[in-house]
Amino acid sequence: MTRATKPMSLTVNDRQVGPVAVPEGLMMQDFLHEYLNLTGARMGCGQGICHACTVVVEEEDGTLAEMRTCIVGAHWFEGRRVRTIEGIAERDTDGAVTDLSPVQQAFIEHFSFQCGYCTPGFVIGATVLLDRLQREPVSREDLEEVITEALDKHICRCTGYIRYLEAVRDVALKTPGLVTS
Amino acid sequence: MAAKVSRRGFLKGSAVAGVSITVSSLPLSAAARLLETPPRPGADWLDSTGQPRYRLDALAKVTGAKTFSRDYRAQNLVDWPAEQSHAFMIHATKADRRFEGVDLSVLDEDLQPDRLVLHEDLVADGIAVPNPDFFGDVFLVPKGETPRLLGQPVALLIYHDFALYDEAKRRLHFEEGAVVYGEKTAYNPPPNYGASRYVRIAGERPEEEDRYSPLKDAVIYGSFQGDEVEWPAAGDKDAVARGMAAAAEIENEMEKAGEGTLLLERNYFSQSIDASAMEADNGNVWYDEKNGVLHLMMATQSPYHVAEVSAKLVAESRFALNSIDLKTGYTVGYGTKDHNIFPFFCVVAGLYGEGRPVRLANDRFEQFQTGLKRHPFWMENRMLVDRKTGKIRAMTGHSRTDGGGRANFSFSVSFVGATAAQSIYYLPKSDFSAKAFASRAVEAGSTRGYGTLQTMSATEMMIDEVAELLDMDAIELRRVNVFKSGMKNTQGAIPGGAMRNEEILDRAAAHPLWVNRHDRKRTFEAEHPGRRYGVGYAHTHKDYGTGAEAAVVSLEFDPEGRLYMRHVAHEMGPGVTTSQAVMAGEILGRVPDETEFAVTEWPQMPLETTDEPYTMSQEEEDRRKRNPRWTPRFTSPMSATNSVYYMGHAVREAARALRDFAFWPAARSLWSRGIGGGVLAPFAVHPEELRLAGGMVNAGGMPSLTFEQVAAEAHRMGLVTGVTVHTFNRWQWAEAEFDIPGHGPMRRPIDALAVKYGRQASEDLKQQMTAGGWHFVERANVSYPPIQRNNAGVTYYAPVATLAEVSVDTASGEVTLLNHHSIMECGRQIVPALVSGQLQGGLAMGIGHALMEYLPLYEDGPGNGTWNWNRYQLPRAKDVAAWSQTAEVLEPLSDSDPPKGIAEVVMIAIVPAIANAIAHATGKRFYELPITPEKIREALS
Ligand code: FES
Ligand code: FES
Repeated sequence: MTRATKPMSLTVNDRQVGPVAVPEGLMMQDFLHEYLNLTGARMGCGQGICHACTVVVEEEDGTLAEMRTCIVGAHWFEGRRVRTIEGIAERDTDGAVTDLSPVQQAFIEHFSFQCGYCTPGFVIGATVLLDRLQREPVSREDLEEVITEALDKHICRCTGYIRYLEAVRDVALKTPGLVTS
Repeated sequence: MAAKVSRRGFLKGSAVAGVSITVSSLPLSAAARLLETPPRPGADWLDSTGQPRYRLDALAKVTGAKTFSRDYRAQNLVDWPAEQSHAFMIHATKADRRFEGVDLSVLDEDLQPDRLVLHEDLVADGIAVPNPDFFGDVFLVPKGETPRLLGQPVALLIYHDFALYDEAKRRLHFEEGAVVYGEKTAYNPPPNYGASRYVRIAGERPEEEDRYSPLKDAVIYGSFQGDEVEWPAAGDKDAVARGMAAAAEIENEMEKAGEGTLLLERNYFSQSIDASAMEADNGNVWYDEKNGVLHLMMATQSPYHVAEVSAKLVAESRFALNSIDLKTGYTVGYGTKDHNIFPFFCVVAGLYGEGRPVRLANDRFEQFQTGLKRHPFWMENRMLVDRKTGKIRAMTGHSRTDGGGRANFSFSVSFVGATAAQSIYYLPKSDFSAKAFASRAVEAGSTRGYGTLQTMSATEMMIDEVAELLDMDAIELRRVNVFKSGMKNTQGAIPGGAMRNEEILDRAAAHPLWVNRHDRKRTFEAEHPGRRYGVGYAHTHKDYGTGAEAAVVSLEFDPEGRLYMRHVAHEMGPGVTTSQAVMAGEILGRVPDETEFAVTEWPQMPLETTDEPYTMSQEEEDRRKRNPRWTPRFTSPMSATNSVYYMGHAVREAARALRDFAFWPAARSLWSRGIGGGVLAPFAVHPEELRLAGGMVNAGGMPSLTFEQVAAEAHRMGLVTGVTVHTFNRWQWAEAEFDIPGHGPMRRPIDALAVKYGRQASEDLKQQMTAGGWHFVERANVSYPPIQRNNAGVTYYAPVATLAEVSVDTASGEVTLLNHHSIMECGRQIVPALVSGQLQGGLAMGIGHALMEYLPLYEDGPGNGTWNWNRYQLPRAKDVAAWSQTAEVLEPLSDSDPPKGIAEVVMIAIVPAIANAIAHATGKRFYELPITPEKIREALS
């Protein structure tokens, strides 16, 4: 016998998922890992502390929000549009990567990560930050602080953060409209 | 069962008879696969200065592809059944009561496990811990016995349905009643782990022979009487007795030294920490009973060890075993996934999977509860210093560590700590001892730093205090005592190569943070009432390597000039794969077109090993080495530190051999074409003039040739076109002679060689290519560094110094790291971006150790299952002075300097530098890490 389930549907990486019967207490992280075979949103703490497990939620008005999947139940995402790390880069029909997002490109060029376990969370966090800057540009002198503030909740044990932060600054400065002079 | 021949010949000596073993890294999924080779193959991967544009594994990691072992489920593993079972364990949180059983009554009927495994089941099935002296005597606590350690598992629960597993695990979490305890008993830890002592008295001058040293005489071992260590008696009957007499002499000198000297006595404490690798321990195991195959997908830094020990575990049980098939993904552990017991719990879970793959994956609470910790050290140091000159006359340091409830590497960590305690100073007389105790704490293991962070931090805090007491500049005092090239360390060994600590001291002394520290303090404190300002300096160097480093690499090219590299190393984060490919390119003028790492099939290297590189007697090694197919060790555990130097040596030797045996003769042949000896004849061109760069081959003014042209010629001539080397280092390289057809015998710093001949080689040559299509060239006159060399402890050092600038809030005790600057010497950097990334990462870890991270050892500690990163604080982006920190790296002495392993040393100097900065800021010394706001508030109140 299995536990009580409820049907749920959502959009993940532009793909319609469901309705699937999902146990009521299941966390989104486990839904991604065990039901959808998407393991890029990583388990770090399971308690909402490290932000290794985050995904993008695309709001109706087009803005992006970062959500922790380890402390939010799968059913919370019912009907929503979710983008996981696997859906950030452009891919061809076989799933092969054809183009990286500016954040991803900057991370690889800056040698931002080492083991890479935390990388999906940083990609998601930086993507959401840049989306916000598009609507609410910051002044040049506040830029470093805004970046540190936004990514401070992400834990990385290998890199000391510097190359992540510098990469994000690079993208912010190169993308027109994010930084006011 | 018919005894099969091992597919890995080199395992013959140690593997379980009749069980074949394969170890491999997982082929990445098609999308990620192309990332392992440069995404746009060839030169495009490198920029115009020869530096890679990104890591070889960059694309996979940045796009969320399955890379870590943790990412794989049964359905992702080729040939595995798709249904995945899941397991978790229930852990004891009391170590002073008998374990009576488990009570699963909080679980509804449908949440009961499909399979519950207890110690008694393991006994019935003949499952025992394979190396009890290392891993402890039992997996699960037997009924009626007191757990050895806090957090020890008592039961294993297997579920065939994820949702049920998930729910049951959640219900049982923090459910104290699940473990039934009986009467109160004494604690039940294993016996203590070991005590050792390193005594040295130099001759009159540093260059003279030592009067006594561990290398020349003996390392002294103590024996435990309960919790007391008994050292041997002093006397002159043997080396050990003379060593104890030497220790007494040093003690005596310290007691008697009066006028004109400073004798500083200080006790230090360095805490237990959890390395908190983001990927928690995990494994997935499928036991295919029908075919007797154990399949493992395991997060481990020592895959060969896991495979061998698993073979032993299963072969001795009632479960039939023909072969082991171990796969690994990427993993990260900072040493905590090296020789940990967790993989064997996974194996046990797999055996009870009833034909299904079983996944056992720690959550963060469980990782705190069971993952290997960094050893806490208590150190009692004494330093005798000449007041006038500042010269250290003698230093003693007696440390004890608590290794917790499984032996693991505790003894070794304790003595490696003792051998590092001298930091960067030359000590004419020294006596360092280490005691490794057992306890009910979660066990500690080979966590990054390996005992040296603890002892060197203490010494660096101590030297800072000595400077203050002598009213000397702390950098100047270091200069007076600095260890120079050719001097002997506290083991009596002379470290290899140049020691460049003086250059680092010069740079630090001239750095604005140091020069302006007094002025800055005045202005800062005037501008920030309630805050104190301080700058601290510390300088350490760390050995790298294990004293038994082995590697195997092959390089070959085809007639079209495509270059292939195959390497035994696997990636763990620091960019091993990237830098190894770049190193081949430095010698051959071309990076490999295709690379394959974590290669485990080496048919061209039919070597045998006993894999006892530390413990074999000299006699036996002398006897065994006559067999040209014997080597002390086939491959060593991967760590970030050993890769660049030790693994790189194999790459460079293979590349040099190709250059000498293929490119030089083939290029000569092309240049000598034509009447009268061609363009070469009028010139005298020597092999050392050969230049391979940018895909071109040049020498002494000859017309440029392309790599492809020369490659084709080498194949046409039937020259050597592929080289596989095996290397071994015991603080020195093994060497041997190889008779290569057409070249005659030559000596190389490798202990095995196989070559491949070009497409148009003579039949004679081709007939010799019988080892998987290669000619295994039997060696002659091999020399392995003597076993006594193990006593040297270490001979390879890399130094890092750090200046830290802090401010301290006197009301809250909060420390703000304003800035830091590091100076490093790492030989020649292969990929500077990777080196600086490692430095930045190490500094962050050190910041955590100095200021935040702390674990109580026992009942309140991680073994109780309530620890996570909410209460255990890790450094965040805001804590590391991210935008202001700087670093410089000394230029190599020449472009032939080898690269040095720096993964461990980078995190050490920042720890005492911060402590010294806080002392400068507050005027108070702190001897216990971490230095928390509470401790500061208390000291300032
Ligand atoms: S795993 Fe979700 S925040 Fe740490
Ligand atoms: S790169 Fe390893 S945790 Fe961030």
